[in-house]
Amino acid sequence: MEQKWEMLSSSNEDREKIWSRSRTFAGDVWFRFRHKPTALAGLVLIAVLMAFAFFGPLFTKYDYAEQNLTVVNIPPRMTVYDAPDGNGYLTITQNLKLLRVDQDGRLGEQLSRVRDDDARSMTIFDCGGTEVGLYYGKTPYKVCNPDKLTVYHHRTIWNRSYLLGTDALGRDILTRLMYGTRVSLMVAFVAAFVNMIVGIVYGGISGYVGGMTDQIMMRIVDVISTIPLTLYVILIMVIMGSGLQSIIVALGSVYWVDMARVVRGQVLSLKNQEFVVAARTIGSSTRTILFQHLIPNAMGSILVTVTMLIPSAIFMEAFLGFLGIGLQPPLASLGTMCNDATENLRTSPYQLFIPALVIVLIMFGFNFVGDGLRDALDPKLKK
Amino acid sequence: MDSSTRIQHLLEVSNLTKYFDAGRGRKVHAVEHVSFAVDEGMTFGLVGESGCGKSSCARTIIRIYEPTEGTILFEGKDVSHLSQRILQPLRRDMQMIFQDPYASLNARMTVRDIIAEPLLAHHVVKKREEANEIVFRMLERVGLTREHANRYAHEFSGGQRQRVGIARALVLQPKLVICDEPISALDVSIQAQVVNLLREYQDESGIAYLFIAHDLSMVRYVSDAVGVMYLGELVETAETDELYRNPLHPYTRGLLNSIPVANPKLARQRNQSGIEGDIPSPIDPPAGCRFHTRCPYAKPICAEETPLLKNQGNGHLCACHLYD
Repeated sequence: MEQKWEMLSSSNEDREKIWSRSRTFAGDVWFRFRHKPTALAGLVLIAVLMAFAFFGPLFTKYDYAEQNLTVVNIPPRMTVYDAPDGNGYLTITQNLKLLRVDQDGRLGEQLSRVRDDDARSMTIFDCGGTEVGLYYGKTPYKVCNPDKLTVYHHRTIWNRSYLLGTDALGRDILTRLMYGTRVSLMVAFVAAFVNMIVGIVYGGISGYVGGMTDQIMMRIVDVISTIPLTLYVILIMVIMGSGLQSIIVALGSVYWVDMARVVRGQVLSLKNQEFVVAARTIGSSTRTILFQHLIPNAMGSILVTVTMLIPSAIFMEAFLGFLGIGLQPPLASLGTMCNDATENLRTSPYQLFIPALVIVLIMFGFNFVGDGLRDALDPKLKK
Repeated sequence: MDSSTRIQHLLEVSNLTKYFDAGRGRKVHAVEHVSFAVDEGMTFGLVGESGCGKSSCARTIIRIYEPTEGTILFEGKDVSHLSQRILQPLRRDMQMIFQDPYASLNARMTVRDIIAEPLLAHHVVKKREEANEIVFRMLERVGLTREHANRYAHEFSGGQRQRVGIARALVLQPKLVICDEPISALDVSIQAQVVNLLREYQDESGIAYLFIAHDLSMVRYVSDAVGVMYLGELVETAETDELYRNPLHPYTRGLLNSIPVANPKLARQRNQSGIEGDIPSPIDPPAGCRFHTRCPYAKPICAEETPLLKNQGNGHLCACHLYD
């Protein structure tokens, strides 16, 4: 290395060459997004829930509307008693019947009742020739030998027939949960999409035209947002009647207000940027300016708002379902499932916990993704 | 100039005035009674301090702002009050290069789309794909390569971005390009590159420039004629050599004295100082001659009467009471 300081030859090509790898804006965003664990976790969570909701029903043997009144309110984890004939277990149903349960935890037939023994607060059932007594004098009810008055040995096992148990009408909660999640996600996505379109158009026009038009349009938005949106949704539901379409219409026609505000703000700040002024001096049409310059540059905030809007739409739908003005039975949604569960809350709390847990997971997922997107779309955090 | 053989200028601005509303009935006097002309194939330089209304003037001419008063004749046609719809086809011949190469390019578009946008807007090509050849040729013309076409603006350096901006302005082969401080955001080595590119293109195509800058040496290098603006008004205008050799207005002299000199011996010899003080507020500009608050030669009349632009010989116009 004697000639350390000798000039290297360089052509114009070399000087103008961009050595960095070409990465589109979307590629850049994805790069930042996947380096944020919570955002990625949220995305995976949403993917899993969607797979659960859309492909889950293929693997279940029940229908969401199928009722089986012999297996009402069976929990996912049951207390079972050894059957005296040594053939599996017995479990007590809520309407005071005895059900056979096999070794693995699958539910079998119902035992036939022999007689009532009111004096001892017992119902006697026939279990393969042996008489067994269901003692209902004191909770918790027990299965006992009616002659010796000894309680059979008992233990808790998992319910293999209904993995998440059954509801008050003997419907499989797992199946209903799949359909419920599906309905909730669908309502949320459609409502969010409608909101996005209405919000973009309304906010875009308001921001771009400006002046008096902007004033009037934004005052309308102000008036709408002074009254709680929940009230509007309930009123619309009352007028249109309950059902999937009316929920979507109700949510779609009200929640665009936030979106319109966001888009208007973005358009207002963007329309005086130099590249928009440049487009005007070039002679580009208003359409080109709106759809090639303004909206793509506002897309970041729009996406973030949408991902934040989805959980609130899901929550709203669940809330309506909970109030009983949402979907009509036998259709399931997470909210109606919670509502149904309240009747048996003290005896079967799992019926409320399970759909509530799914609502929580969905909310977590979308909020994490929204958070991650907001950070990923912020070019100031560029690495 | 004999009125019967009056030459039609490419761009003729007369009495151009632009006020901005500053609220509570106050007005920003951004541009007042500015008149000048640009001929085909020529470069007219517009200089002045920051905030003197150069950019407002340029933006009013290209009708980003609506003029308050005055006329703008482009190829003999008054464009000062045309609606944007009627103006649209005329924009093809009048383009603009912006000061900030970072803000003036859309970050979500590839360079190909940026340069193709004027072609599509003026229906030179029907589809994006047809524009490719023209875009590639234009890229090579400004010293970039066709490989750059698929890149996004943020991947380029400042000088490269500005050349993309220039390619966008030149791709329609306009007759006039308004260069609004095209080099002030670039570092010195790149400035020369960009200015030389503009000059070469002018030699080839006979395009006219309205070149706005605050760098006097650069304006001297590129312009055929120069106008000096102060607080919204044009105070002096002349051919470039004449103006730099024989500056008349005290403000112009002050500006020229503020050009840094490389040779320290010469710099020490220079006894005249630059201009003292700050530029007054354009909301409430001084009465009379606007410059009298900072002028070393101010007389009582300067505070009372506004001097008019008068010919001092050689086509040298100056607005100053010293030459009355």
